[in-house]
Amino acid sequence: MKKPGKRLISLQINGMEYEVAVRSDRTLLELLREDLMLTGTKEGCDDGSCGSCTVLLDGSPVRSCLLLAVEAENREVTTIEGLAENEKLHPIQQAFVDHGAIQCGYCSPGMILTAKALLDENPAPSEQDILHAISGNFCRCTGYNKIVTAIRAASRNGKGGD
Amino acid sequence: MRLPHFDLHQPSTLEEAFSLMEGGALALAGGTDLIPLMKYGLEVPSTLVSLKRVDCLKSIARRDGGVFIGAMTSLAELASSRIISENFAALFQAARSVAAPPIWNVATVGGNICQDSRCLYYNQSRAWRLEKPACLKAGGNVCHAVPKGKKCFSVYSGDLAPALAALGAMARVEKKGGSRSVSILELFSSNGLRPFTLEKEEIVTGVEIALPAKSTNSSYRKMRARPSVDYPLVSAAACVTRDGGGKIEKMRLVLGAVGPSPALVYGAGRLFEGNTLEEADWEAFSELVGKDVRMVDNLSYPGSYRKEMVPIIAARAVRAACGPGGGEENA
Repeated sequence: MKKPGKRLISLQINGMEYEVAVRSDRTLLELLREDLMLTGTKEGCDDGSCGSCTVLLDGSPVRSCLLLAVEAENREVTTIEGLAENEKLHPIQQAFVDHGAIQCGYCSPGMILTAKALLDENPAPSEQDILHAISGNFCRCTGYNKIVTAIRAASRNGKGGD
Repeated sequence: MRLPHFDLHQPSTLEEAFSLMEGGALALAGGTDLIPLMKYGLEVPSTLVSLKRVDCLKSIARRDGGVFIGAMTSLAELASSRIISENFAALFQAARSVAAPPIWNVATVGGNICQDSRCLYYNQSRAWRLEKPACLKAGGNVCHAVPKGKKCFSVYSGDLAPALAALGAMARVEKKGGSRSVSILELFSSNGLRPFTLEKEEIVTGVEIALPAKSTNSSYRKMRARPSVDYPLVSAAACVTRDGGGKIEKMRLVLGAVGPSPALVYGAGRLFEGNTLEEADWEAFSELVGKDVRMVDNLSYPGSYRKEMVPIIAARAVRAACGPGGGEENA
């Protein structure tokens, strides 16, 4: 099978409009990391198990390694690069720093984006809600306790909410 | 891992999709099963027909005394649907036991049902598989799980299908110029090499479940190595109807991850008929449930251990179906 031709698609990434030419056999992860140099999104298992490639698609967390780039056409993608405003970290990022919820850091972008989707929907989650939300994001350093503490601190329960 | 090259079609109507399927294309639903298979080089389709834009397949609707669930309904919708949680606890619990919430946002009902069977010796990277001759499922002529095995022992690991089968659901299967309605179990061939009875151009477009009779409840239980993002090592779905005194009138029990298709346990209902849970002969139940099950060392836990767990998980499903609301959620 020869390479399929490129297709021109429009999508919004971190609030900016993009028009990109992409082949149908490229994943959203490849488009972000290799074509747009948005390398904050990490490639882990690359088969959907680990969650390190998590991005938000129209506000919901998805695995960018399992999504074809062309399927993100006319959708709104948020990557970890889209959270901080100028030099000011997003409150969830700041909570991760403050509570030492980062060890090697490889799972952090996916964890933080999953936490953002949770807190956007439920600003005052219980610990069980947090555990459920991040159950698809693996931390190989096993730093889960501090991650849960950080998310709780960023929530309304921890007085970190809006 | 790179995907192999393929052409992608994204039709917005079913008619268009049926026409495109005629050229030997593969249907792409959420992609959470197919995309990894393609990355591993286990599926190499030249054309994919994505159903994500076919909006008429995305709904959960009451229809003629039952509920119709479109094949492209996401597991997230299924796992938050009141119609499903109030009427079909087994399906609700099965949906919530799949992988993890971010996967639910993309994975679909049709895709979950039609996922390929799995084996420790098959679902591996190309580099891993190169160390051994190709197995039967990969087009070779050996089985690595059962030396000298002449058939494929891959395991169907879907969560929804056993629940749907216990609930007596029917699948709607369509292609250009034709449609048929088959029971969930009739979708399966019992052959690990090609687990489904679907013809090449056919698409599962939805499932229909009759509303449960009075005093009927259901439940799904799943054993897995870790509580999220994991396939079942054994699962069981039970649908039980009881009379006012708690005696079982009817029961349908379906096992998952015990072979290449969900397995209906024949005679389980008869064994319990007219008894309360306390009066039931659980020893005979254990014997019956494990009788026809052959499990080999092709998943992350040994076949012998998984076989021992079959009656235990099955009993949990039956007991939970007799509790309020199908028992608490899967542990």
